[in-house]
Amino acid sequence: MPFEWLTTFQGSLEKPADYAAKTLASYRLGMRAGGSIVGVVVQTSDDCCAAARALPRGAIYLPDEAPRLPLAGCSVCDQCRCVYRPRMTYQGDPK
Amino acid sequence: MNSMLGVLARVPLLQLYRQFGHPRMLPLNLTLSPSPRCNSRCLTCNIWMKRENELTLDEWDKVLKSLGRAPYWFTVSGGEPFLYQGLVQLCQLAYKHGRPGIINIPTNGILPSIPEKVQRIAESCSLSRLIINLSLDGIGEKHDIIRGVAGNFGKFEQTCKALLDLRERLPNLSVGIHTVISVFNVADIDEIMDYADRSGADQFITEIAEPRVELDTVGLPITPSREDYRSAIDRLIAHVEQRSYRRISRITEAFRVHYYKLVKRILDEEDQAIPCYAGWASAHIYADGTIWPCCVRADALGNLREHGYDFRRIWFGDKIKAVRRSIAARECHCPLANASYTNLLHHIPTLVKIGTKVLLPARRAPEESKTDTHEVIGTSV
Repeated sequence: MPFEWLTTFQGSLEKPADYAAKTLASYRLGMRAGGSIVGVVVQTSDDCCAAARALPRGAIYLPDEAPRLPLAGCSVCDQCRCVYRPRMTYQGDPK
Repeated sequence: MNSMLGVLARVPLLQLYRQFGHPRMLPLNLTLSPSPRCNSRCLTCNIWMKRENELTLDEWDKVLKSLGRAPYWFTVSGGEPFLYQGLVQLCQLAYKHGRPGIINIPTNGILPSIPEKVQRIAESCSLSRLIINLSLDGIGEKHDIIRGVAGNFGKFEQTCKALLDLRERLPNLSVGIHTVISVFNVADIDEIMDYADRSGADQFITEIAEPRVELDTVGLPITPSREDYRSAIDRLIAHVEQRSYRRISRITEAFRVHYYKLVKRILDEEDQAIPCYAGWASAHIYADGTIWPCCVRADALGNLREHGYDFRRIWFGDKIKAVRRSIAARECHCPLANASYTNLLHHIPTLVKIGTKVLLPARRAPEESKTDTHEVIGTSV
């Protein structure tokens, strides 16, 4: 995919304390307000913590049911490289 | 007023600033996003879902005052800028403090109040060139599908016509059509180009759909393949080059062609291709007062609320240094139009090529372009 660097880069950005609440609230609004978003995915990286590696790969969550980042038991906390991604209608079935 | 000659005089200083850290310079190209709210539901953008503790007009007043007359080119972005209740006043504040050469506002064209607000901005910012770029991502129903709003194309046409009528009375107003070329419409570029030609708009500009942190589109498959984009943009370049332009329009169109060629290089080389000046010559202020070098990276340089609304305290502070090192080390690359046009302005080989092209005798075309009558002063996106 073009601009792959941005995927890694975004993971490296320091997350504000309200990252999970704010991001999931925006997705909740997006799903309510007729957007093409159908859910939320947690994107993990190779060097993320054991708690993140234990998440089911490719799982699509409703915003209210998505795991909160940083995950409980995360060993790196505010350096967590996991990020939320919106899942869109045009992305098809991930499985 | 802030002049293009003044901008050119600052180019070597900004080059020195990027290279050596001195002389300290403020950006000449500034994007303001007063609100992420938007009444479109585009397949290529998710900013409309966001809600922020937005800067008030009083806060914007202090911020813009701290920038003085540095910015030559303001873009007021969004979300949908015309959904922001203080848009007219925000432009007036930018004009009062900065006397910019260009105020550029993209819009989806949906709200019926747009022409009236454009008129107020144009009349109260009379020495600035006001460029309104209407988004057009397809013709008819295709536009509505990509933008996620039924009836959007009809509203686009109504607003476009109203703005073109206004243009006859407002000498500082230019009306453009702006297309985001994505996987959803890359095959339709000829149809869109033909429509734009017939529309009477002053300019037709395009930008490739790209992932941006600001838009929450990182990782989404919206960018067309290199091959598809190359095919579309080559036809667009040929289209631009076969037309005849005069005076300032010759310069702006030459910049546009160079931008399209630059995007192809960036896609091919997966590199900046030419040095990026985001963080030196261009910057972005987000709705909550956070300063970014650009909306693609959107790394927070600092929040104006925590720095007395003084842009300089963040711009000349310590935190920005690491971000500048990262950009200078080419750890990022993107075809963001707003930054790219600024980068081209600082790239001597490009300036030489454009200068040569502009100085050569103009070809004559059977029909002069609209841009000959309604000249666009400076580049615009």
